[in-house]
Amino acid sequence: MQASRARLFKEYKEVQREKVVDSDIQLVCDDSNIFKWTALIKGPTETPYEGGVFQLAFAVPEQYPLQPPQVRFLTKIFHPNVHFKTGEICLDILKNAWSPAWTLQSVCRAIIALMAHPEPDSPLNCDSGNLLRSGDIRGYESMARMYTRLAAMPKKG
Amino acid sequence: MNQSESSSSADPINPCPICLGLVKQEAYLDRCFHRFCYNCISQWATFVATQHSHSQSTLKCPICKSDNSSIIYGCDGDSFQRHYINHDLGNRFSLSEAHKYRLRCYYSESGAICKKFDVLQYWKRQRYLQPNKWLQSWLRREFQVLTQEEDVDIIVHHIHGLVESFMRRKEKERSKSTPEQNQQEFKTAVSDAARPFFTERTERFVNEIELFLASGLNIEAYDKVYLECLGLNAPDATSKGAEVHEQTQQVLYFHLFDEDSDNGD
Repeated sequence: MQASRARLFKEYKEVQREKVVDSDIQLVCDDSNIFKWTALIKGPTETPYEGGVFQLAFAVPEQYPLQPPQVRFLTKIFHPNVHFKTGEICLDILKNAWSPAWTLQSVCRAIIALMAHPEPDSPLNCDSGNLLRSGDIRGYESMARMYTRLAAMPKKG
Repeated sequence: MNQSESSSSADPINPCPICLGLVKQEAYLDRCFHRFCYNCISQWATFVATQHSHSQSTLKCPICKSDNSSIIYGCDGDSFQRHYINHDLGNRFSLSEAHKYRLRCYYSESGAICKKFDVLQYWKRQRYLQPNKWLQSWLRREFQVLTQEEDVDIIVHHIHGLVESFMRRKEKERSKSTPEQNQQEFKTAVSDAARPFFTERTERFVNEIELFLASGLNIEAYDKVYLECLGLNAPDATSKGAEVHEQTQQVLYFHLFDEDSDNGD
């Protein structure tokens, strides 16, 4: 417990320092609970998520960094590896490939990389996975772009 | 725990990747040489071990994922300590004090102890005709030491059965052959049976089993004589825990080191 708190505090300080460097990721710690974080990440360019801003929720376990944080999308996203309803993410480093050398910041980067490179063979969103697996890239991209516009972009005035 | 916080290892630019703080008690993985706090990396090793049902002999580096088999720590320029990954596991067989003293025997000269017990008298007076009821327990401990495995039933039965049948045969023959012939026959039989398991340690093992039988003592009394010969105190039943564990590592490390140097010569 003490170790996880100390480590999260180190990450908090690091995030404050790195804010300027990495404008694609904005990590914010809950005011009253250092085990609850949210992040805003920019959809990567040249993907159907470009232009969108996606919100992630982090729940950090007491055994952190021995155990990975639990991360889910709060913003609706159409992606084969993200559950459409719950926002749950299927990503190996958040499960058995976790290493304590990952940080909340680097987990965000991994999620951005996953957005750019979906893995349709381990889908949490079957509709999206099937579109990609059947080679219907256009179908997948237009669906993903539509949801990005609907959920991840500011509403037009 | 002596958690020496050497200020020389404090490097604000390269913090420990696990706690993100200054490195306390520098430790390195043996293959990739990535650096961590000793506590951080051993905690991770322990955690990983609890996640697997099978014992793991390597640890993936948290940074580069390379497989490492030990954590190196306590480097002072001249020496270092080493913590093998598979020794973390609670379910692994750990050597007791008595096992450790036996292991040490295999690395010491056998001269002194040979003078204590008169082996030739054993064969001359045909004392082998009296069955030795402690032999089985003695063999079990010996095999656990030599194989570093807990379950040695098969080898124990194999060798014990061989010794018993040898003695029974001698009983029937009575004194047809000379004591020296009997001794030689016994040694050949045991070493043929033991060689597949103990390879280059076989010869010493055969000498040890002969010594134990010739002593005519039970294990406790035999240990006492043997330890006196080695200039060691009897295994202290009161010393437990971390200290015991520490010593195991040292003895085992010595074991590997010895083999390496044998090959190098």
